[in-house]
Amino acid sequence: MQTHMKQNLWGYLFISPFIIGFLAFTIVPMIASLYFSFTSYNLFNPPEWIGFANYIEMFTSDPRYIQSLKVTFIYVLAGVPLQLVSALFVAMLLNTASRAVGLYRTVYYLPSLIGGSVAVAIMWRNIFGDEGIINLALQGLGLDPVRWFGNPTAALWMLIFLAIWQFGSSMLIFLAGLKSIPQSYYEAASVDGGSYFQKFFHITLPMLSPVILFNTVMQTIGTFMTFVPAYVISKGTGGPLDGTLLYSLYLFKQGFEFFHMGYASAMAWVILVVIAVITSLIFYSSKFWVHYESEGGR
Amino acid sequence: MKKSLLGLFGVIMMVLLAACGGEDGTENTSGDADNDTDGGTGGDITLRIAWWGDQSRNDYTLEVIEMFEEQNPHITIEAEYAGWDDYWQRLAPQAAANELPDIIQMDLSYISQYADNGQLADLEPFFGEQIDISDIAENTIEAGRINDGIYGFNLGSNVLSTHYNPEILAEIGIDEMPERYSWDEYQEMAELAANADYIFDTGMQSDVFFNLYLRQHDGRLYAEDGNGLGYEDDQLFVDFFTIIKEQVDSGATPSPDETAQYAGPEDSPVMKGEGVAVHQWSNQYVGIQEMNEDINFEIAPPPGEELEKGLFLKPSMYFSISENSDHKEAAAEFIDFWANDIEANKIILGERGVPVSSIVQEELSTEVDAAQAKVFEYVTWAEENSTPMGAPDPSGAGEIIELLGNLSEQIAYGEVTPEDAAAHFRTQAESILGN
Repeated sequence: MQTHMKQNLWGYLFISPFIIGFLAFTIVPMIASLYFSFTSYNLFNPPEWIGFANYIEMFTSDPRYIQSLKVTFIYVLAGVPLQLVSALFVAMLLNTASRAVGLYRTVYYLPSLIGGSVAVAIMWRNIFGDEGIINLALQGLGLDPVRWFGNPTAALWMLIFLAIWQFGSSMLIFLAGLKSIPQSYYEAASVDGGSYFQKFFHITLPMLSPVILFNTVMQTIGTFMTFVPAYVISKGTGGPLDGTLLYSLYLFKQGFEFFHMGYASAMAWVILVVIAVITSLIFYSSKFWVHYESEGGR
Repeated sequence: MKKSLLGLFGVIMMVLLAACGGEDGTENTSGDADNDTDGGTGGDITLRIAWWGDQSRNDYTLEVIEMFEEQNPHITIEAEYAGWDDYWQRLAPQAAANELPDIIQMDLSYISQYADNGQLADLEPFFGEQIDISDIAENTIEAGRINDGIYGFNLGSNVLSTHYNPEILAEIGIDEMPERYSWDEYQEMAELAANADYIFDTGMQSDVFFNLYLRQHDGRLYAEDGNGLGYEDDQLFVDFFTIIKEQVDSGATPSPDETAQYAGPEDSPVMKGEGVAVHQWSNQYVGIQEMNEDINFEIAPPPGEELEKGLFLKPSMYFSISENSDHKEAAAEFIDFWANDIEANKIILGERGVPVSSIVQEELSTEVDAAQAKVFEYVTWAEENSTPMGAPDPSGAGEIIELLGNLSEQIAYGEVTPEDAAAHFRTQAESILGN
């Protein structure tokens, strides 16, 4: 009994860094922010209780809030699927045996490591600038250069391209998933005369569906919370014409530029609920398309 | 043996965690002033000072601090500095935690917010005691007044101006920039530029120049009491932004989707010798002159016939003392040193605006380079040809500036008419300022 207790104690000791950190830096601030979301709080004066006024204002009298929701949904709906498709595509290329696969894996994973950084966002500004490589290429093809930063739609797509480019982590997970599909399935399909596409749609996709679910959920959550690229590329404005005003950028502006901490907290809670709902919808839908091998014999 | 090793590991983990937690408080101190100042006798008083700025400002400010410490061995100064955005994002939580630095560099658009919320100390008790103001004009000191006290010590003056390239001006057929020209004449000159395939200017920052336009028409952007807008007739809004829109439509000002492509001011056509003028604050002249030394820019007043009514001396920035400081007198001594010490100002060289002390200004006139001397000259001229600034920007000014910027962008893109924007601006601005 005593050894058992002692062992537990050791266990708690080892997870204590996480537990303490989680309590102090996640749970406590979250509770504080929930309280602030029902107050008018400008950081200087004590918060003043105003009930649901922040939440009501958001949806009734703040057109920029609605705009930021719209921009964020377009960003997620376009960015996540495109990113997953490119991740899967590259993963399948890398799954073919080649001596340089290790090198390629690293090269394609690199953007994910650095993609969220300020340096990359600045590089992106240069790539899409007037004399950037994209516009030079367009001109080379005889097309008109695009003012990527001046056109609200183009500016958002520039951000989406940046999100797609960071497909590395999904790619690695896909790659692991692909490796775990037994070769014998493909061999059996070949014996039966299955084509490449039949193999892809009837073996690869179903076998990979749990991994697709995982990647979809992780990427959706991450993409909803994107901040740095929008901030750097629009120079902190969310412009042009609020075309790149992603949700977290607007939240940041409300909190730290306009000192509406209560409003910003309320925004944070709304997006938490939105992400939770969307995530559970994805999970709910999964029973129609995710195939688990263990259930196969049921 | 194994267990004690595990125990050791566990303890190390905890220490690491504690260290990580504790670091948050100190890593913000991006200055290396600690190393410079902790040696020697060790001060009895430690002051913290914070400012925003670029590398060159950081360097010379640290130099001035060192000089001050040498003359006041009992005072140690710790520096905290950052870029503009980071600076304000860091200051707000510090204010909420009552941990503001003793000396804070303040800006016109934030000072009301901090003073109204009781974060700043009234400086008047220090005048004549620690801070010598005998060589400083009263208007200059008054520029730091919020309601019943002086909450910011004005560090220098800025005036709106037009910085133009005389060669291009001659090329579009204008021999000399007139000292006084109406907005109609401004548009005529701009048309000459557009006809010659040059741009005339790079546009006008909406809040700054709309305020200038309003002042010229007996109004101002914010009401004196800060609770609303300072003009009654929305036609003024319509007129001003119609001019701006016409400039874009005629090609005299680059369109907003073109300016959005610039990575920085160095990309603007004026800097490349393809345009005539930039409208901005007088201290920014030195910057553009350094950026392209092949062009000899000149300084002229901005457009508008009612020149004197429009122009005013804007405090380029302030030093404020925080209310929660334990060493307000020592902080005041530093401000005095900054404003009045000749040797210190030979290092500062007017980088924070034309020095406020007339003695310092005189002493410096031989020290500064040609570009800085031109700015001094213009500001001295403007002292005689301007009207008082009026009350500083109210709390919430940051939000108004952004609102107006967004509307002016929408007007330029043709998304909204100036008439609709004028009405929208009034409703929104009054609800922001009314709070």
